[in-house]
Amino acid sequence: MFEVLEKGLEARYASEADFVQVRGQTRTITLCTVLNGTVEAFSHITLSGVSARVVTESKSWGFSSTNNTEKNSIEDAVGNAVKLAKTSAKSKSKKIALEPVKAESVEISAPCKKPVEKANLEEIKLIPMEAYRGASEAGAKIANAKASFLSIHDQKWFASSEGSRISQESTRVQLFVDIVAKEGATYCPAGESLGHTGGLELFDENPPIGLGRKAADKAIKLLSAKAPPSGSFRVILHPTICATLLHEAIGHPLEADLAMEGGGFGNYVGKPVMSKLVTIYDDGAVKNGLGFLPYDDEGVKSNHTILVAKGVLESFMHDRTSAASMKAPPTGNAHAWDYGVEPLIRQTNIGIEPGSFTVEEMTEDVQEGLFIEGTFGGQADANADFTFGFQNAYWIRKGKLAEMTRGANLSGNAISVFKTIDAVSREAVLRPGACGKGQFAIQGRVVPAVRCEIIVGGTGGA
Amino acid sequence: MGFEDNWTFLADAARKTLKRLEKLGAKQAEAYLLATRTIETNIRNSEVFTESAIEDIGLSFRAATADSRVGFACTNIVANEERIEETGQKAFSIAKLSAPVPSFALPAKKKIPRADGLFDKDVTLAGVEDAVDIARRLIKSTKAVDRRISAKGGQVSLVYVRKGVVNSLGVDVEAEETQAVAYVYASGMNKGEPTPSCLDGQLLRSLNLNPERIGQTVGQMAVDLFNPKPVEGFEGAVVFEPEAVSYQLCDAIVGAVKGENVVAAGSPWVGKMGETVASADFTALDDATLRGGFASRDFDDEGHPSQQTTMISKGKLRSFLHNATTANMLETENTGNASRFAGGMEMTKMIIGSGYKAKPEVYPSNLVVQPGSKSKAQLVSEIDRGLLVGSMGGFVQAGSGLISAQLGRAHYVENGQVKHAVKGGMVSGVAFDWLKQISAIGNDAKQFFNSVVPSLRVEKVKVVGSR
Repeated sequence: MFEVLEKGLEARYASEADFVQVRGQTRTITLCTVLNGTVEAFSHITLSGVSARVVTESKSWGFSSTNNTEKNSIEDAVGNAVKLAKTSAKSKSKKIALEPVKAESVEISAPCKKPVEKANLEEIKLIPMEAYRGASEAGAKIANAKASFLSIHDQKWFASSEGSRISQESTRVQLFVDIVAKEGATYCPAGESLGHTGGLELFDENPPIGLGRKAADKAIKLLSAKAPPSGSFRVILHPTICATLLHEAIGHPLEADLAMEGGGFGNYVGKPVMSKLVTIYDDGAVKNGLGFLPYDDEGVKSNHTILVAKGVLESFMHDRTSAASMKAPPTGNAHAWDYGVEPLIRQTNIGIEPGSFTVEEMTEDVQEGLFIEGTFGGQADANADFTFGFQNAYWIRKGKLAEMTRGANLSGNAISVFKTIDAVSREAVLRPGACGKGQFAIQGRVVPAVRCEIIVGGTGGA
Repeated sequence: MGFEDNWTFLADAARKTLKRLEKLGAKQAEAYLLATRTIETNIRNSEVFTESAIEDIGLSFRAATADSRVGFACTNIVANEERIEETGQKAFSIAKLSAPVPSFALPAKKKIPRADGLFDKDVTLAGVEDAVDIARRLIKSTKAVDRRISAKGGQVSLVYVRKGVVNSLGVDVEAEETQAVAYVYASGMNKGEPTPSCLDGQLLRSLNLNPERIGQTVGQMAVDLFNPKPVEGFEGAVVFEPEAVSYQLCDAIVGAVKGENVVAAGSPWVGKMGETVASADFTALDDATLRGGFASRDFDDEGHPSQQTTMISKGKLRSFLHNATTANMLETENTGNASRFAGGMEMTKMIIGSGYKAKPEVYPSNLVVQPGSKSKAQLVSEIDRGLLVGSMGGFVQAGSGLISAQLGRAHYVENGQVKHAVKGGMVSGVAFDWLKQISAIGNDAKQFFNSVVPSLRVEKVKVVGSR
């Protein structure tokens, strides 16, 4: 692919740009979904394409992509990108600067012990089938059980007029189990997921059958659980829901493009913004993290970026443009979902440093509250106002876990919520995550349990 | 090869592959082809930030064995015939490992009526300078409303779409469409306090975008959110404006009428045909023939002709939505609702993406809620105590219809008057109950990706307070 990309850098129009970045990619996706015991969907997807991104006249970005990878297509893409950038430059007053980075020549393959492509389709089918088998053990109240295996193999190439030549290869494997338990007119959904960057060895330590059992057991228990209450509560957020809160409501406002829009963490660098117990980082090199992305799509090495240190805002996540405009070092957070789209500022593996408490110790101090588990996804805006769903909770009464409740939504302003954190658990867990900020992304989260105050939007009473 | 040549080559190779699959023993086979050319401008912090030109051509195959096992494979590596045939064969070999879908069906050849107003040559001729001009006007008109308002983000995209479906039952259809989309989201900063984001835009088939109107609307929305106050919890009437209706309430309806959910008995409306599921003045159609509709089309994503389907008439359930397979399973008519652009929160679907990368599933084209006669002011004037909700965050829970949504753009209403913007707070309840509690419908229908909906006033909604 580098040969094709070189042609882009040498294209006639390339000399009219301040600089040129070209990317190429091949991607293979395998999906196998088992619904109620039968293979409902088995899909094989192969994609490839190239794209060019240029800056002209220090003012204007142009981007062009095509899935046509014939020799001259990258030259056309560069030509298109230059034309777009020059056309729009006329209407722009603001200069664009890019934070300088060192040119890199590297070839990286993410560790993978059991490559997916070496497994035959029968072996792959067995993975969601086993998860289903685990779920089906819960009995007749399981109205719907769906297990999906998904693998993505990516080979990416990056070349720039600044001299970088980076090739990266990775395999990401995920398993999702979604259950609906039913009794009379009551439906209770529950889900579990697993994922890492690596191969099928994921399932050696985490057998799919166990994941199926866990999700089904939860759904069954929820049938006899009551609705959660509404109002502001002292809660412990299990890592599964803490991951969503961290990503959506703290992570997004720490992305420089959103931060520059105002609101949220705005101009608070160097100032305390949350509880002193909280240190937050983003790290593209977390082993097995789904956001294992050693170099970003601008050719910048991904750092272990401390975003918040003991409650004080240290840095945002940057691309080269935002780094230059905020006079900060680049952090390697410019990622594109695939060759076809421009890089945006994205999280890789965002994490909270573990604290000193056990979950039991965190529970002991709560007179009345909730222990909240499982995510149904959510959303937040740049001001850190969020809503997201949890799957279930347990009442905490007089320092002890009591009965289970069903899920509902949590809402509030994450910055306010993170100010109320008064305990962080000593174990951080690597969780799979995903994000849809304009384009899709698969990411990792490294999260402990935290204790805080939050608004619960349930429909039940205390 | 250029875009046009590629298309012709691809369509021919797809037809050949289908013949080949039949020879190999496939009982039924289908190819779906999609080519898009997009010019896009993005807005960031009141600046035209990036421009892109994106070309994408790909195709997918579905192949069924003699005992109705179905496989799917797709590729965008379309430069040679071998690769295309290989993809078709992959679908067939995967099919052999899948479970039989006894009622699997593809549509048969039928006459395709033309839906009007889906193509505008001007969109295909427009260049990046047009997109940039529209984006600049969006920003300018948004900021012109008040100096405290900024156009945080937005997009102008001009898209040419060519799509085709060929199957072994003789379907061989093709269509060209255009899309012109402009939206901007804005926020205001007043006395150090930012407002929630406000969004407005237009989804059109022609280049008749009105960026000034969008900018003024969104700017005014943000100004109206200045000086918000928290609310106490109460139960009252809530006017959900079109944007709020288009997300959570529409999602609940979609989940309940979607063929797959009906087949799996996962829809709460199974067995309720003819029964009351909404208040008596509520009528909802699926209309794929709506002139110029953003989700209108000549044929669905399996090649079945478009039609209008009444789902709910005066509050009574009249029809579910189907594709060829779900209709066959329930021995009912195909409503032409196969979609490869179905929304939803399913992780695998979001990872894989849409268009040629996706298998078709049942999804509305334009879910049209028939507008009523009342203006927004009238809807509000009849409220003793309640809210006017422009937007809210959070999702509806599939199956149960449970909504607990954070208020986004929202105002408190008392004695028929809007009192102030609301800070924080939620509304919670069950979407299917809310449909029965509708007391009035607005005359302000607006087009979204898959819906055209007016404001709905719902009685007895639980408001979760923020103080």
